[in-house]
Amino acid sequence: MGYVAIRGGGTAIKGSLEALEALRAAEADEGTALSLNTIEHQLRLLTSRILSEGGLYHPPLAALAIKQMQGDTLEAAFALRAYRSTKPRLLTTPVQETEGMRVIRRISSAFKDIPGGQMLGPTTDYALRLMRLELADESPEVFRGIAARFLADTPSEALPQTFPKVVEALRRDGLLPASPPGQGEPFDITREPLVFPIPRSAVLASMARAETGSLLALAYSNMRGYGDVHPTIAELRVGYLPVLLPHPVTGEPVEAGEVLMTECEVVAMYESDEAGAVPVFTLGYGACFGHNETKAISMAVLDRALQKGMKDGPSNPSEDPEFVVLHVDGVDSMGFANHYKMPHYVTFQSDMDRLRTTQIKAEQKKSAQKKGQPE
Amino acid sequence: MNEPSPSTLRRDWPRLLLTLPAHHFSAALREIKEQCQVVDLALPQAGLALLQLRDGALAEPYFIGEIPLARAVVRVTDPEGRQSEGAAQIMDDRAGLARDIAICDAVLAAGLAGEELIHALLTQGTRLRAQIDAERGALLTRTRVDFSLLDGVSEGNDL
Repeated sequence: MGYVAIRGGGTAIKGSLEALEALRAAEADEGTALSLNTIEHQLRLLTSRILSEGGLYHPPLAALAIKQMQGDTLEAAFALRAYRSTKPRLLTTPVQETEGMRVIRRISSAFKDIPGGQMLGPTTDYALRLMRLELADESPEVFRGIAARFLADTPSEALPQTFPKVVEALRRDGLLPASPPGQGEPFDITREPLVFPIPRSAVLASMARAETGSLLALAYSNMRGYGDVHPTIAELRVGYLPVLLPHPVTGEPVEAGEVLMTECEVVAMYESDEAGAVPVFTLGYGACFGHNETKAISMAVLDRALQKGMKDGPSNPSEDPEFVVLHVDGVDSMGFANHYKMPHYVTFQSDMDRLRTTQIKAEQKKSAQKKGQPE
Repeated sequence: MNEPSPSTLRRDWPRLLLTLPAHHFSAALREIKEQCQVVDLALPQAGLALLQLRDGALAEPYFIGEIPLARAVVRVTDPEGRQSEGAAQIMDDRAGLARDIAICDAVLAAGLAGEELIHALLTQGTRLRAQIDAERGALLTRTRVDFSLLDGVSEGNDL
């Protein structure tokens, strides 16, 4: 049996796309098409996820991808990546320092009195996981007044927009290794193939656009016991990072815009130094576009685990750069899993032929053994 | 409440102008383009930029992802023959918007004809920016943790 030609596939595919679109609009007369603004603001954490997994900070397009893919995060990230691949790259920014982030949330589980203080910001950390049934039938008037009331009820107190980083205080106290700023050119995962061993910058870039659940699963494996990172969050911050680019005429840094991002530094247990140096804590780092704390924390835990793996050799999967980096990308892994839906008629036909031949041989062997046996 | 004054620093102008919806520019820019000669010193472009950050653990640079970027460089000559070069690099998809902001930059930098129109835009942008900053500030002010209360109630029993 050879290649199986299919007739009528084109019509079926066209119909499937129309069926998909029909289900998107199945509310009919009662429905209203979602505006991108609504998705971007009311589903802001979902939008954040697509921004980071798509690897492109473009909130309106992330919202469009969510709408187009009907909430499928993997497909939405795929669409955003496909979009970015069609655009020319105009430049690489100078290194941006995240101390300049305009913070909306900042916490530490290492110290209560961090320089500048802790601000919980917008978080579900302390929310009861009980259904708020009143949201099921929310009046437009009440909805529109929520943000205005929040602002009106806020005392006018001018707090700074930027804050010093907690790890720098630990560094000054000699509890962390001194880290002179690295100068090397980072690895560009969008232009260069990953050939192992890879530099840490490639690991960080891969994890920054990794699928949240995949990062969480591997980090969880380490925290639960297949590893030894017991992290303390030195600082978790969410805020808007101004992107500064040199003015083409004056050369002076000018703000091109800002990027909402989440950043986390975790402190892990100190290591004794065989060379006799003073022992210090070790650090892990995580960051991603948008507001996604689970991702930033997971990335920081994995960064710390992978630093150990790269130094001493991996003793569990989460310390192995190849295992982690090649299995956390949502577009890659989703694509591989879903390609099994594509026709495999020829390979399966071959599998069946081999099975039937093996079955015949097994029957023949059995018969021969029976004949050879004494009655 | 006093009206905040717009920044006179060139590095702040794009940020303030970008706070405004693009259609706010159209009337002012139309007038300036009618009065002045605008020459593109580089083709206005829209595309992406690779965003490079420094990590907070080992201070190594890495790429977190890409951002949209539009840019333009122009020379503006006003009716009195005064010339100025202006430029813009903005996080946006619209090369035309970058060109408009580059024109504003050139006009403001040398006080060319139409400067007052751009100043009016900067004032609007400053007002909107202050509103955004107040909204973000409220997220901090309303959620600042006061650990002194914890110390007073349960000394040495913090979580």
